[in-house]
Amino acid sequence: MRRWHHACLAAWIVLYGSVAAHAAQQSAGIPKLNAAQLAKAIDQLIDKRLAQEKISPSPLADDAEFMRRAYLDITGVIPSWQKAAEFIDSQDPNKRARLIDELLADPKYGRHFADVWKQLTFPLTSTARRYPDEPYRQWLTAKFNANTPWDKMVYEWLTATGSQDKNGAVTYFLANGTIDQITDSVTKQFLGVQLQCAQCHNHPFTNWKRDEYWGMAAFFMKVRPERTKRGQTASVTEVSKGKPKLPVSAKQVPAKFLQGAEPKLDPNKPYRPVLAEWITSPNNPYFAKAMVNRMWGQFFGRGIVHPVDDMHEGNPPTNPELLTLLAEQFKANGFDLHYLIRAICQTKAYQRTSKPAGNNKDDKLFYSHMAVKVMTPEMLYDSLQSVMGNNRPPVNRGKKPRPGNSARDQFAIFFRTDEGIDPTEYSAGIPQALRLMNSGELNRNSAMLDEILKSTSEPAEVLDRLFLGTLSRRPTANEKQKFLGYIEQKADNARDGYRDVLWVLLNTSEFTLNH
Amino acid sequence: MIKLSRRDFVKLSSAGVMATSMSGWFNVLASRAAQTGKKHKSCILLWMEGGPSHKDTFDLKPGTPDAGEFKPIPTSVPGIQICEHLPSVAKLMNHGAIIRSMSTGEGSHGRARYYLHTGYKEGVGGLVYPSIGSIASKEIGDPNSPLPNYVAIAGNTYGAGYLGARHQPLKVVDPNRGVENMRSVVSSDQFNHRVGLLEAMEKSFYREYQADSANAHMTAYQRAVTLMQSKEGKAFDISQEPASVRAKYGNSRFGDGCLLARRLVEVGVSFVEVTLGGWDTHQDNWTRVKRNCEQVDPAMSALINDLKDRGMLDDTLVIWMGEFGRTPKINKRGNKPGRDHYPRAWSCVFFGGGIKGGQVIGRTDKEGATVEDRPVSAIDFMATVCQILGIDYNKELTTPRGRPVRIVDKGAMPIEQLF
Repeated sequence: MRRWHHACLAAWIVLYGSVAAHAAQQSAGIPKLNAAQLAKAIDQLIDKRLAQEKISPSPLADDAEFMRRAYLDITGVIPSWQKAAEFIDSQDPNKRARLIDELLADPKYGRHFADVWKQLTFPLTSTARRYPDEPYRQWLTAKFNANTPWDKMVYEWLTATGSQDKNGAVTYFLANGTIDQITDSVTKQFLGVQLQCAQCHNHPFTNWKRDEYWGMAAFFMKVRPERTKRGQTASVTEVSKGKPKLPVSAKQVPAKFLQGAEPKLDPNKPYRPVLAEWITSPNNPYFAKAMVNRMWGQFFGRGIVHPVDDMHEGNPPTNPELLTLLAEQFKANGFDLHYLIRAICQTKAYQRTSKPAGNNKDDKLFYSHMAVKVMTPEMLYDSLQSVMGNNRPPVNRGKKPRPGNSARDQFAIFFRTDEGIDPTEYSAGIPQALRLMNSGELNRNSAMLDEILKSTSEPAEVLDRLFLGTLSRRPTANEKQKFLGYIEQKADNARDGYRDVLWVLLNTSEFTLNH
Repeated sequence: MIKLSRRDFVKLSSAGVMATSMSGWFNVLASRAAQTGKKHKSCILLWMEGGPSHKDTFDLKPGTPDAGEFKPIPTSVPGIQICEHLPSVAKLMNHGAIIRSMSTGEGSHGRARYYLHTGYKEGVGGLVYPSIGSIASKEIGDPNSPLPNYVAIAGNTYGAGYLGARHQPLKVVDPNRGVENMRSVVSSDQFNHRVGLLEAMEKSFYREYQADSANAHMTAYQRAVTLMQSKEGKAFDISQEPASVRAKYGNSRFGDGCLLARRLVEVGVSFVEVTLGGWDTHQDNWTRVKRNCEQVDPAMSALINDLKDRGMLDDTLVIWMGEFGRTPKINKRGNKPGRDHYPRAWSCVFFGGGIKGGQVIGRTDKEGATVEDRPVSAIDFMATVCQILGIDYNKELTTPRGRPVRIVDKGAMPIEQLF
């Protein structure tokens, strides 16, 4: 990572003159850009790279395509038919930027980001399943919705103590209850590096030695998860004495920051605050980059370094200047997540259509056109829910509801590929297709259809609204002809015909893909 | 048929090589469905949830302290004795091998089940590992079969982990009700209309966006619709079996599950797991083990006999096992005591699959407490199953993010005496 760091600095100086001449100077000499300025700077770097590679960019997406993408990426759920129509029909020239702000202010934003981070940090092991995940989800949702600066949030997360009902963040240490699990997770999720191989052997393609792993692990030696006894809430403490149970691969080494110093630790004080302070510092070489890269990957379907949590010298970024720009501005703007998302979503790159154009069909590296991402299981559940209304999407038969085992969780487990699958790969198979096609829950009356039929009985309007409420667009002339013809045949039972149309729309690739 | 990986398939399809699948792909289903039954080995895992007591089933220790109530009986193989409540299985012992030296070290249900299904300890290496059923689906299953390659009956097994949702087990909660959601809720005419409209939408979306994901989505739907309409799909309906056959399997839920497993293997499903719960006998051990054996004995023997009669036993491995054994000592829990969890020494049983039958592998001491000969670890066990099924256990699979992971961890030694 260090190697390209220097190269980027030179590039940065060139860039600085062109975009940010009027921006305020920071003490470190890095101009602080607002979100719109950052979006422009990002586009310059991407366009430059595309020009170097001689790849033509696709044109901007139309309003409908942009809107559906922004809804899914920011709030994790598709818009209602009314919201979709309102946005598409709006004449406001700034409506895209407005929509981004509106979605960031929606409480569903926090819920969606809590889903993303719960999935990353709460493994479904038999140990973790003993603990309810709801306090954790609530803590994450509240922190994201308050737009807590990322450094502050992660500090609270990594130093959490107390009982689960008082501080949901401790769930992280309960669910990752062994020293190696928590070390793997913290380095991967917050520093963007895969250190776990170095637990047992020196890392194959980096200079991370086993000592580095156990040097980081040493910061967690005093953490004690206290398991649930009947009628008692689990909690996490950091004790002053004793050693936890260590795996056979453990090496006893002094606490040491990854590729950094060995801090002096006071044995009478907790160790985690020392680590958390180092991790969340603006001077930490990994922290800001890890988050901007992860966020970029979440919105573009592919990280600048990819996979997003495997940053090392052998896996270079496709656009090093871009990564540096994002990380520097994220820091300069106080680790403000809304700022980062606003900038990303305002770029031309984000707003391009996902339809390939010119010679860019095979480009997956340089952001010439938007990647087609697969809805996460939670997005799919919530989007189906928004169409079916109170008729809940299908649940696994024979499951008792208990904490962490809601219909939504079960649906997610059924559709999920463990181990961070590529967000552009569709991995579901026969069982999932059968459920989406044939479950009673998805074939009952849809609350949305009921509502639409109350609002109009004109077939063309009903069809419009069914399309808007599922695919977030109006039907093409061709589709209109085909579907209206079908409904006409069903004249004796129009509702039945509309239910067929809805079934078709919900089962399309277009519905389940975030394009 | 040439074997294609999932990725190859997506690539070929998107390149138009499999152009037929792009036009009228839902209409060619019935004709296409006839050509299944590719030759590969299959596996039926009879999973004894809770951990059966080895000393009361396949490794009796008559005349020693805490031997328990059951008497050993002779089997079709001179010198091999098993529990008196498994008389029909005993008659088939010449086709099977008892492994009396399992030694696996995980003594809590969740972790032990994970370990014995995947060959990896839970939480190690930051991955979720695929269960053996998903590995079989990936390695020997036909990716284009109208049938799923891994079916789990009456239990919650472990899933596909990093192999992806495609290799998740298709779950059958109640063998009498067949596969969840396999029948359309509307008439077949109406369903065909819906599918026709869907096909048109799919094609035009793919034409515009050219995304591999859209193609993979179409393939999943194509397979699912084929399953619904193909004759193989009828394999899930055990009501088509005569009452006499169902009676042979014991008319229990587990028996029905075994019958369904046989029907599925007949049409080419690679891996079927059938669960029988109720083996966690901390209390009232002998009443409960006897009751369980009364379900296992007819079901398992009918299954093996049926496979034999159809000439399928050599190609179908039947495994009987749980997640661990139970303590050699009888505990002191009240007036109906039992035995507790015991992973250090226990038994599992293999039938068919082309193994050398009529033998016992390994040996425990006179109390069934420690392994004295040929200890079989979880990875030895996994490597053995792979080898029987024709899966290269040394092969590296790749996680979605490109990390190579061995099917079975390093250091495994398959049980040579079985081959």
